[in-house]
Amino acid sequence: MFDFLAYPLANLILLLYTWLGHSTVAAIAALTLLINLLVLPLTLSQQRSARKLQEFQPQIEKLQKKYANDKERLAQEQMKLYRQAGINPMGGCLPLLIQLPIWFGLIGAIRYCLPTSPLSVFQFSQHIYKWLPGVVGLVPLNSTFLGMDLGRPPSMDQWWSYSLPILVFATSWFQQKLMTPPSSGDDQSQAAMMNQQMQIMMPLMMMFFTLQYATGLSIYFVISSLIRIAQYYLIDRQNGSKGHSRRK
Amino acid sequence: MNRFRTWRWPIGLVILTVLLLGASGCAGGVRATSWTGMTLVGERLYVADVERVVVLDATSGEPGWGFPEDPQETRLGAFQITPAVDEKRVIVASQVPPAGFLGSPQNIVWALDSNTGEELWRFDEASGEYVEGGAIAQGLFLVGNSDGNVYALDVDSGTRRWVFETGHRVWATPLIVSDTVYIGSMDRHLYALNLSDGVKRWDFHAQGAFASTPALRGDTLYIGAFDDRFYAIDARTGTERWHFSGQNWFWGNLAVHDNVVYAADVDGNVYAVDAESGQQIWHQALVDDRRQNEPVRAGPVLSEDGSRLFVGTQNGTLYALDAADGFVVWSQDSEGQMLSQPVVDGSVVYEMLIYGSYRVRARHVDNGREIWVYQPTVEEE
Repeated sequence: MFDFLAYPLANLILLLYTWLGHSTVAAIAALTLLINLLVLPLTLSQQRSARKLQEFQPQIEKLQKKYANDKERLAQEQMKLYRQAGINPMGGCLPLLIQLPIWFGLIGAIRYCLPTSPLSVFQFSQHIYKWLPGVVGLVPLNSTFLGMDLGRPPSMDQWWSYSLPILVFATSWFQQKLMTPPSSGDDQSQAAMMNQQMQIMMPLMMMFFTLQYATGLSIYFVISSLIRIAQYYLIDRQNGSKGHSRRK
Repeated sequence: MNRFRTWRWPIGLVILTVLLLGASGCAGGVRATSWTGMTLVGERLYVADVERVVVLDATSGEPGWGFPEDPQETRLGAFQITPAVDEKRVIVASQVPPAGFLGSPQNIVWALDSNTGEELWRFDEASGEYVEGGAIAQGLFLVGNSDGNVYALDVDSGTRRWVFETGHRVWATPLIVSDTVYIGSMDRHLYALNLSDGVKRWDFHAQGAFASTPALRGDTLYIGAFDDRFYAIDARTGTERWHFSGQNWFWGNLAVHDNVVYAADVDGNVYAVDAESGQQIWHQALVDDRRQNEPVRAGPVLSEDGSRLFVGTQNGTLYALDAADGFVVWSQDSEGQMLSQPVVDGSVVYEMLIYGSYRVRARHVDNGREIWVYQPTVEEE
């Protein structure tokens, strides 16, 4: 289904592998950087939106107190505030939706380059871009990293491979925590509760992904999260220098 | 109601994930991840039928015993490797799915009584999948595994006698000649090992992975690789004599007859090459009705007199070529994918399919006319 993305991504991994000293982890890391550069405008706008939400939190809380008994009015006033501030409260979903096909394409690409299934390797043999320099004879790539087989899902015979999904959960949770607008302890609004649920559901979902698929995918998720975290702090520092206060 | 509204986004996200997992073909269930294999011994055809191993009468296609008897009830995973058969036993392998969410699949070699199908022993120490079949010689069963090891098991008890570690997955069937084992690995090496203790004698390094069994003629080994070449290698020293370049990988075994090597690359180009010099004699590109290349996984097989060459394609077509000039004598289409090597016995050629209505079909060598068919026990996903 996602082969239209998987084949180009797999060929890109092959090319990066030749350029980066035949290191599979380095090739996946470089690919992650490239993909993140590609979706940078979206993630930046998501992060700016999240920051604005944080800045407007006191006003939102005031509205919540004022219209505590009128949910409909509260929603209207909140939307009005968002509109005036130029905030898209659902802006966080777009980068996620765009990334989902990339994830699935990447799952396919890893399956082609680090094969555990002969059928997928055979399928890929028809789609290697032979005109790329140095790719002939590369498949299958070296799949061992710290004693783990990057082409296989985590398993008990390589018990330490479970550390990667845990790392995926931890980095993704921290990233989500940074993106989530803070709420006061007594804030029981729908948006606040939804944000709290998302903060735990997203990392759980990503951990579930990485338990099911090749360990190489975890490398992508961990590096992606680290990039987003770094991005957040860069924006934060930029805003801090303009006199904004950092979230507590 | 409010609680539902609060949870709807996270719930929606989970549902979307599950749907996409299913759409990407990654949902659970037993699934053919490789091609299957068959071995003909006398009047019996031993077939790895994905969810079971079954023995067929070679003249009628009538099934005899099956292991497990009822694959719906006893799920032993996917049987895909070509059965290795001697006078007493049939040795196969399967990957048994994990019991729980965090469990690992078990990769098991099964030795079965060749007359009754009863289990004699099992070996479950390998951590990877078995992709191609093993070979039996001098009281040992040798098989490569995706964990990168070559295992030598006692053929009577299944106990491990030695292990040879390679640098990558081993997806090839070994060739055993006298006291030497020749086996290729995805680490781009072809190894010659002592049969008795697994000690390496020599290794040959290519630019691409080896996933096929070498063919031996005199003291020369012929084997294809994933670097778009096939090689002629001195069997005593492991030095290259010549190589021939095709247009894509050579995955299947090569066929050798008289002074000619026959090979097919995965793009469907069939070559006849002089065994001494490596010079091309003829080339035939197999194409479908739309003039598209016919992908070929398995190598060509010769008829007993060496006059016909049979090649199966992923599109389900079996080609019979004239071995002298590569001319297509006949071709027959089937539903499904023909990724296993056909088996020829006298006037009959047996083809094997996955993802089709038939698992095995027997045809006349002369004209491709169907003799019998055997349907798969359980349809693949």
